[in-house]
Amino acid sequence: MWSSPFITTPTSVSQIMLRVLLALIPGIALYVWYFGPAILVSLTLASITALATEAIMLKLRNRPLKPFLSDNSALITGWLLALSIPALAPWWLIVVGTAFGIVIAKHLYGGLGNNVFNPAMIGYAVLIISFPAHMTHWISPNTLGGIGLSFVEQLNYTFNGVLPGGLKLDAVTMATPLDTLKTQLHLGLSVDVIRDMPIFGYLGGKGGEMVAIGFAVGGAYLLLTRVISWVIPATYLGTLFAIAAIFHLADPAHYVAPLFHWFSGAAMLGAFFIYTDPIGSPTTHRGQVIYAAGAALLTYLIRTFGGFPDGVAFAAVLMNICVPLIDAYSQPKVFGKKGDGK
Amino acid sequence: MNLQQYKDIFLNGLWKQNAGIVQLLGLCPLLAVSSTVVNGVSLGLATTLVMTLSSGSIAPIRSYVPNEIRIPVFILIIAVLVTVVQYLMNAYMYGLFVVLGIFIPLIVTNCIVLARVEAFASKNDALSSALDGFAMGLGLTAVLGVLGAMRELIGKGTLFSGIDLALGDSAKDLVLHVIPNYHGFLIAILPPGAFIGLGCIIAWKNWLSLRAAKKRKDVIAPAPIDGGCSPATH
Amino acid sequence: MKRIARSTLQTAVNLVFFAVIGTAILASTYFMTHDAIVKSEQAEKMKLITQIVPPTMFDNDIIHDTISIPADPLLNNDDTTLAYRARLKGEPSAVVLEAIAPDGYSGKIFLILAVHANGELAGVRVVTHKETPGLGDYIDIQKSPWIKNFDGKSRALYKDDDWKVKKDGGKFDYMAGATITPRAVVKAAHKALMYFDANRDKLFAENAAKTEETK
Repeated sequence: MWSSPFITTPTSVSQIMLRVLLALIPGIALYVWYFGPAILVSLTLASITALATEAIMLKLRNRPLKPFLSDNSALITGWLLALSIPALAPWWLIVVGTAFGIVIAKHLYGGLGNNVFNPAMIGYAVLIISFPAHMTHWISPNTLGGIGLSFVEQLNYTFNGVLPGGLKLDAVTMATPLDTLKTQLHLGLSVDVIRDMPIFGYLGGKGGEMVAIGFAVGGAYLLLTRVISWVIPATYLGTLFAIAAIFHLADPAHYVAPLFHWFSGAAMLGAFFIYTDPIGSPTTHRGQVIYAAGAALLTYLIRTFGGFPDGVAFAAVLMNICVPLIDAYSQPKVFGKKGDGK
Repeated sequence: MNLQQYKDIFLNGLWKQNAGIVQLLGLCPLLAVSSTVVNGVSLGLATTLVMTLSSGSIAPIRSYVPNEIRIPVFILIIAVLVTVVQYLMNAYMYGLFVVLGIFIPLIVTNCIVLARVEAFASKNDALSSALDGFAMGLGLTAVLGVLGAMRELIGKGTLFSGIDLALGDSAKDLVLHVIPNYHGFLIAILPPGAFIGLGCIIAWKNWLSLRAAKKRKDVIAPAPIDGGCSPATH
Repeated sequence: MKRIARSTLQTAVNLVFFAVIGTAILASTYFMTHDAIVKSEQAEKMKLITQIVPPTMFDNDIIHDTISIPADPLLNNDDTTLAYRARLKGEPSAVVLEAIAPDGYSGKIFLILAVHANGELAGVRVVTHKETPGLGDYIDIQKSPWIKNFDGKSRALYKDDDWKVKKDGGKFDYMAGATITPRAVVKAAHKALMYFDANRDKLFAENAAKTEETK
């Protein structure tokens, strides 16, 4: 067992978590602007499920409810998961994912501070493995001029599975830009032809790139208020950029530019909100560099050569499991300890 | 050997020293084929047959086998028995034979078979050895069946699917669709579901044992059982 | 020295003894079950074939009326495969071919197809595949009836341009979220039909060896 040095008293935990929630707001606001209000529904569902399962588990484990419920950590799990999966989905999708994350990945491992894996990312992994079809239906950004659904119509789909006027799900959703890039490359098109397709914007996918910028702004706020240190985000984004640049320079027709990797998928969310989770990351700076660089490498490999549309979540889970090992080998030598051999 | 001893052997194999959830032996087939009740129970029964026959046949010849070559001889006998079972299934239960595939011949390498021969049959008489093999196999079958039921129910919402492979086409009606129009929860059928499910069964068994121990207020606390799932063992 | 040699010899004899007994048991089981194994393997093959060629369509011994066909780019196979011929009253009625769809989402998809003598597909089945569970695996008859879309389709019915999924402007259904898998299967089925059209006479030819024997 290990505990994290960042956590001192319960009140500071809840303050830190509250700031993290605040920092997510710019990204969420842009999400609503470009993709409609469906995300607000899934955020609400995720919050309710997270708090309810957290309370049930605390009760079962005979722990006091109030200090743990008000530390906001369950809310972060729910929000991160809601932001990682398609917003337009049957209601049970986000409920099952959040509940799995809180019950199995968090409380069966001993609750906050003892969980090996990031509960939100475990929830994501379970959902994409169990319901891959539902996880491919991402709302098209309204700037594409497609059919935009009203709030009521979105609610109707989430709870009753009905789309207005016999619309097919295909008409209002699309594959993510990362997924589209992968399948079109598979068909033999080159990167610059694919990038000219309407769903792509300046940096990443239309709409999605703006949401990523929103998360980066929130991340900057977390850096300024010293909620997170710069080590993990800087190492993660730097390594991702470097690897993508090497591949891109070697073969620009098959490997997309590094900025695309920054502003597509969950890279920005991961850099500032997922990998920086103090519970699943190493304690020393040296360890954090190894951890973040490994996560960036895995993200790139899974995105480029793997079978899943994005690699951020699997990279997080895989690096989480390496943390004890990284911690064991990156501790600074204790002064006066034998074995220095000078 | 009196009746009480036979009872102890039986109880040991079925519960106290259960191969799947206490000794944690033979986990590879346990995790790989427990995606449905029928698969799990079929492989469990095949393993039980092999264990009963191998323990029962090795016990009477144990004094004729020189110590230095006892392992190769035991493995030889187990391999022969497994191959016989494989031929029989290939001939008379072809569908199941195809589904279980490589895991039938792999019964040879299932450490629980050799472990019981080494630990029990090489020191006891034929009857109690056969009983020990049978009970151990049955214990494993029970775990395979329960794990298979959990995974099948959560994963597909059915029970006993594929039973026609074991009992013939006429048994198709025995498949229970417990949850109609079920979406399916794929992770339960896929390998992670096996690990999570087994972890839960082990936790349940440990909980029962701990509770029983507390009730009896035993002076000797039960040895902690490494469940593999809890981070408390770090 | 002598004692060591003697005990070594004893051990060896012992091991040989058990090996001989084991071999004897195995050999006898093998001979006892051999016929049953061959029979159940054939029954299983027959089950697969009759799924796509209804038993009313042939009266010959289809399992043994085979022709080996060399690897062909239209079938995408790497090795010689066996084609099974169905005949009704001596007239060719259908042929069962193996084909591979090389461009599935995660690797090759192995198919068997039955083609009527008139070039119409009697049926297609996926034998093995590695497509994503829950996403691309609806090509498997166990998961969904999608593959039955091919029943009765022919190149006379659908123009070559129509042998695509609807998303690409063709005539074949697909499920949202997974287009690569059905695209690969449709393409493979289309190519297999082209192979059939090009090699029809060869496929139904009486076995050369057999005819010579009867002469």
